[in-house]
Amino acid sequence: MTTISRRTLMLAATAIGALAVAGVAIAEVPKLAQKDTYKVGFAQTESNNPWRIAQTNSMKAEAEKLGYQLVYTDAAGSAAKQVADVNSMIAQGVDVIFLAPREEKPLIPAVMAAKKAGIPVILLDRSVDPSLAKAGEDYLTFIGSNFVEEGKRVAEWLAKNANGKSKIIELEGTTGSSPANDRKKGFDEAIQAAGGFEIVASQTGDFARDKGRQVAEALLQAHPDADIIYAHNDEMAIGAIAALEAAGKVPGKDVLVLSIDGGKEAVQLVVDGKIAAVVECNPRFGPKAFETMQRYAKGEAIEPNLVNEDKFYDASNAAAELANAY
Amino acid sequence: MTTIETPAPQPSGTLSSGSRLFSLASRYGTFVAFLVLIAVNIAVTPNFLSWQTLNVNLTQVATIVIVATGMTLVIATGGIDLSVGSLMAISGALAPMIFMGQFWQVENMAFAVALAFLIPVAVASLFGLFNGLLVTRFSIQPIIATLVLFIAGRGIAQVMTNGNLQVFKNEGFQFIAMGRIAGIPAQVVLMVVIVILASAMIRYTVIGRQIIAVGGNEKAARLTGIPVKRVKLLVYMISGALAGLAGLVVVARNSASDANLVGLGMELDAIAAVAVGGTLLTGGRANIVGTLLGAFVIQLVRYTLLANGVPDAAALIVKAGLIVLAVFIQQRADRH
Repeated sequence: MTTISRRTLMLAATAIGALAVAGVAIAEVPKLAQKDTYKVGFAQTESNNPWRIAQTNSMKAEAEKLGYQLVYTDAAGSAAKQVADVNSMIAQGVDVIFLAPREEKPLIPAVMAAKKAGIPVILLDRSVDPSLAKAGEDYLTFIGSNFVEEGKRVAEWLAKNANGKSKIIELEGTTGSSPANDRKKGFDEAIQAAGGFEIVASQTGDFARDKGRQVAEALLQAHPDADIIYAHNDEMAIGAIAALEAAGKVPGKDVLVLSIDGGKEAVQLVVDGKIAAVVECNPRFGPKAFETMQRYAKGEAIEPNLVNEDKFYDASNAAAELANAY
Repeated sequence: MTTIETPAPQPSGTLSSGSRLFSLASRYGTFVAFLVLIAVNIAVTPNFLSWQTLNVNLTQVATIVIVATGMTLVIATGGIDLSVGSLMAISGALAPMIFMGQFWQVENMAFAVALAFLIPVAVASLFGLFNGLLVTRFSIQPIIATLVLFIAGRGIAQVMTNGNLQVFKNEGFQFIAMGRIAGIPAQVVLMVVIVILASAMIRYTVIGRQIIAVGGNEKAARLTGIPVKRVKLLVYMISGALAGLAGLVVVARNSASDANLVGLGMELDAIAAVAVGGTLLTGGRANIVGTLLGAFVIQLVRYTLLANGVPDAAALIVKAGLIVLAVFIQQRADRH
């Protein structure tokens, strides 16, 4: 044991020495001074959907509540503009940068530039390439939803509330995307563990309403005994409801529809009884983001990965929560 | 290379059995493929023989057929129209904006709904005219000329809507996709009417013959006094208008218009239907009924694979394989 620890120590010392010789800064996130008010930057990636708009509003509202000055930029779906946005925030001398990176690799220069300028970066909802930048070294932490957990919560709800329904059609998101992979993994594993359920078909609907409807129409026709539809997002769930109605079935009665995302339209459908339950993919990052920043200023150690809590809507709370849905 | 082939029709007895096979396959191949697919489905796919299956497939294939009919006309003149998917997005974005009163206050809903049909289709056909002008006036190759709107068109639709999803409920407007005429879904009726009109136009009207002539030999057509440019402008306008109409069907069916997704990839489906249907991509032939069958074949392949649990990615490969096969058979048949 002692030999190993000594060797590690030696290695670390050599590494630090080499870094010092090379004139490279030590791998550590810049510190944040404790102040009454801060000037913080929020670099949004785009704002063309309700989820993004809700995220922006939440950040703005929290900054206002705390009396912080918020520098807000919208990259309008361009990674290049987002890098430029971050650079302009650095020039404006913000204390902290909240970044919702558009893509994993192109935003690395922005993260590095902020680090070099002595500004801590907190990533929101999407991460950057872990082989090029690390939490706790190049940026402070990543705050986001746990997609595996989202799928798992749907399965757990079903295990309790399916009432004998058991044959599942799964509408997957875009093949290869991380929410699609994780929401499938979380659901499939948990439903297997629950027992008594069978996934009779699982096909991609590309996260889109039209495709989701067409795929659901075909699958319902081939598997008329299916009585549960699990969609990886609201849009496909809404498409599946149209498919069910066209096939003369009653969503919520003949077939349970479950979804993830929890936008206003879907929560309204829960109220209407057409969607049985929906897990929210929480866009309200404000409270968690600013709380994390304050904890860091106090000198607390920050975990490399923070989970933003997702709500859960079903018949019991949808009507009450409708006003709060994004 | 120096031998001159005699164009005179040969008696069938002198054809080798191989080439006769290809020419038969070229003429009836799509129909045979269609029958084979149905037979396979009856054997393999659960619950295939039901009205609901027919209903699902006909309503899903309708938009492809509508767009592919316009595409057939364009291809018959030796052109191609890549912009159809983007034009669907533009018309799909425009219609809800009209009846939801984003341009002006809606006072009379029936009137607004009528405009929501007319204006988007008219706008789409004007964009088609723009394609046609690029092709005729500026002599740009059709694949490049229509690439302009393929790229810019979706951008226009996204700018109009800010990229936001438009959600609506309007029974009058949605009749085009949800309504039934004598028990038959409205978009299926629309599809049948368009196919009948287009094939009648090709077969019985002067303009129809002119379209074929332009595609067969443009120089000869011009020398015989056919207004080649006007004919081309017309086919691109028709293609644009039909794409616009298909865009309306898609958004009406979904009660929502998403400029990012409406008509995405439609140009490829339409071209595939035309190719599988036996219309030569080099022009000079327009087989509208073939296109209809081609679209049915593509739809049935997709349905078969989906219903039997084969992943979507595999369906794409099968679709590509079908196109290669169709073009191969055409070429072999045309060699004689």
